[in-house]
Amino acid sequence: MSLQISTRYRSALAGLLAMVALPAMAEDLQMWERSGGNAGMVDALVAAWNAKNPDRKINLTYIPHTEMVPKIAQAIASGEVPDLMGMDLIYGPQFEAAGQLVDITDKVKDWPELKTAVQGHMTVSTYEGRLYGVPLYADVSALFYNKDLFRKAGLDPEKPPTSLSEIREYADKITALGGDVKGYFLAGSCAGCNIFTVAPLMWASGATVEPEAANGEPLNGEGVKEVLQWARDMIKAGNVHEDARAETGETFHLRFGSGKIGMMGTGNFNITLAKEQNPSMDFGIALLPGVKSGQVSSFAGGDIVTIPNGSKRVDDAIDFMKFLLSDETQVEVYAKMLNMTTRGDMTENKYFQAEPKVQQVAKAIAVAETPYTLKFFELINSPQGPWLQMLQRAYYEDTDLDTIISEAKAQMKAIAAE
Amino acid sequence: MHSKTSSYVGLLYVAPALAFVLTFTVYPFAQMVWMSLHNWSLIAPKKYIGFGNFVKAWNDPQVWTSLEFTLKYTLFITPILMILGYLIALLTAENRPLRQFTRSVVFAPVVIGLGASSLLWYWLFSYDFGLINRALIDLGLIARPVVWFGADADISMWAVIASIVWKVVGFGTILFVAAIHAIPGEIGEAAMVDGASYWQRVRAITLPLTAKTILLVTLVSVIGSLLAFDQFYIMTAGQPRNLTATSVFLIYLNSFPYLKLGYGAALSLILAGIILVCTFLQMLLSRRSHA
Repeated sequence: MSLQISTRYRSALAGLLAMVALPAMAEDLQMWERSGGNAGMVDALVAAWNAKNPDRKINLTYIPHTEMVPKIAQAIASGEVPDLMGMDLIYGPQFEAAGQLVDITDKVKDWPELKTAVQGHMTVSTYEGRLYGVPLYADVSALFYNKDLFRKAGLDPEKPPTSLSEIREYADKITALGGDVKGYFLAGSCAGCNIFTVAPLMWASGATVEPEAANGEPLNGEGVKEVLQWARDMIKAGNVHEDARAETGETFHLRFGSGKIGMMGTGNFNITLAKEQNPSMDFGIALLPGVKSGQVSSFAGGDIVTIPNGSKRVDDAIDFMKFLLSDETQVEVYAKMLNMTTRGDMTENKYFQAEPKVQQVAKAIAVAETPYTLKFFELINSPQGPWLQMLQRAYYEDTDLDTIISEAKAQMKAIAAE
Repeated sequence: MHSKTSSYVGLLYVAPALAFVLTFTVYPFAQMVWMSLHNWSLIAPKKYIGFGNFVKAWNDPQVWTSLEFTLKYTLFITPILMILGYLIALLTAENRPLRQFTRSVVFAPVVIGLGASSLLWYWLFSYDFGLINRALIDLGLIARPVVWFGADADISMWAVIASIVWKVVGFGTILFVAAIHAIPGEIGEAAMVDGASYWQRVRAITLPLTAKTILLVTLVSVIGSLLAFDQFYIMTAGQPRNLTATSVFLIYLNSFPYLKLGYGAALSLILAGIILVCTFLQMLLSRRSHA
């Protein structure tokens, strides 16, 4: 009997607590963001917003990045959507075309901040002339190189390579140092890492990767074959660690900071990370080159923030977007954390001036590209897609490169045409 | 009149079970069949395409690659699970403290989630930090670390098989032990009086009298292997080049990341048909061997 009373008391107390707690929770905006992206940056942005808006805080939930697209799609199908959605920018067009995002054009048309917002993010946030999102954070790829290893290999640490043949030449010398040191890094099982760091080598060499339209030609130009041949030769020459073949992206961001890699295509996020991992390592940053000296390119990636159809807090969500683009957030949150600002006119700030490496990597924004396709995941980002299959065959097999490229082309065309 | 009333009463008795089956088995299955006849995306309106998804599956080389790999995996892992499980059961069947303890140890991994155990083995097989490479090098069996996942499909498959054998062999063992315990002791004693050796008794008495359990464990193992997903999703991600993408992996990939629910449903139906045929053949063979 006493147990029953005690149980009833406990239930009543729990009920009361729930009644008190629920209204407070109900006022929070719900936001989803993919994991595996720049979580530190998003956490800081949300914390800054929550500090300024205690009556409409954001409750942030991370979704595993490989599950983000299906999770959003399921939420849309079931009507249980969050108020804000941070998504990998390359998925923007797919969801915009499907009519699943709130059209914010009329609500934000007078914002002056949009004029200087990162172009790649704005392009993928736009569908048929209407705007569906704004930049959440930006990542750009560049060539990171270990100056300590350059010195040991007799290379000038102030002269990074400016062409693929120079990368090869430098990598050979660094690998010759022996031990566990290798000249370069190519991720063997990560589609995303390769579109971020290998596709720019192709773009810089004058080639295209994704089809620009449903019936467009993918993998166009000699640059594709030249880069694949270069990568195959680099691996055969032993310039890449053997376990790079199994790199699925899980440890990609930790590779450069290990201090065992001479050069590597990676992103701006690696500046802070490499310093934390290996404080004594001296490293430099250059633009990813093409076949010829002077050719450069980069991938402008990152996330956009959107509002899914069905969100009950559209006005609050729009306010959060405005907050992201404000001068204060750009400088005191993005720049202070040494992340790229999402507005081009905010790169001249005290934090960047104190850190030349960030200024160096920021140069990549000017030459960066962002693919625009309605089927990016299936075509490029999927570990099972034709892009990674093509790279794996080129990296690790001896099959004729023309055959590999033409088969990948056929697969990409079939997917794009569906 | 009386019989009509009693049949209504009978129907009333089975109504809850019937409602359960209709709601949770028949309706989802019918929905899946309906879905398979459509171009059905999670985020766009559906479109009826008849048997288009099935035609597409027939012409999709990845479907055949995945099916071939799944069958290969099943063919390799099933005998290992059966033979090893049975041998451990024979070793630990007697109810003595040490043998009971051994049985518990072998069974323990069965209660761990497949996701957790796959993650555990993923790191055990890690190139840099894994215990397996370290142990093999220290034992002098290999000179340098092996890239277990992502490089060679066969090596990846055997690594996964090792992890799954560790994970599920205890399940078969426990069922075999229960079946061995159910054999009346007098039969074995009579055989011993007649001078039958241990292995003769196993062959002539234990194996035939536990045949039904062997069939059951084989069926469960084959079906489980044909439906393999978690272990490959976590440990190989289908790499290299989709050569370790099992059939269920392909269904998942199409249904969710690619948002092609209709195609995924068609692939699910095809796999369900294959499993049904395998089960039927297995039962048929078993009945014939009994006859």
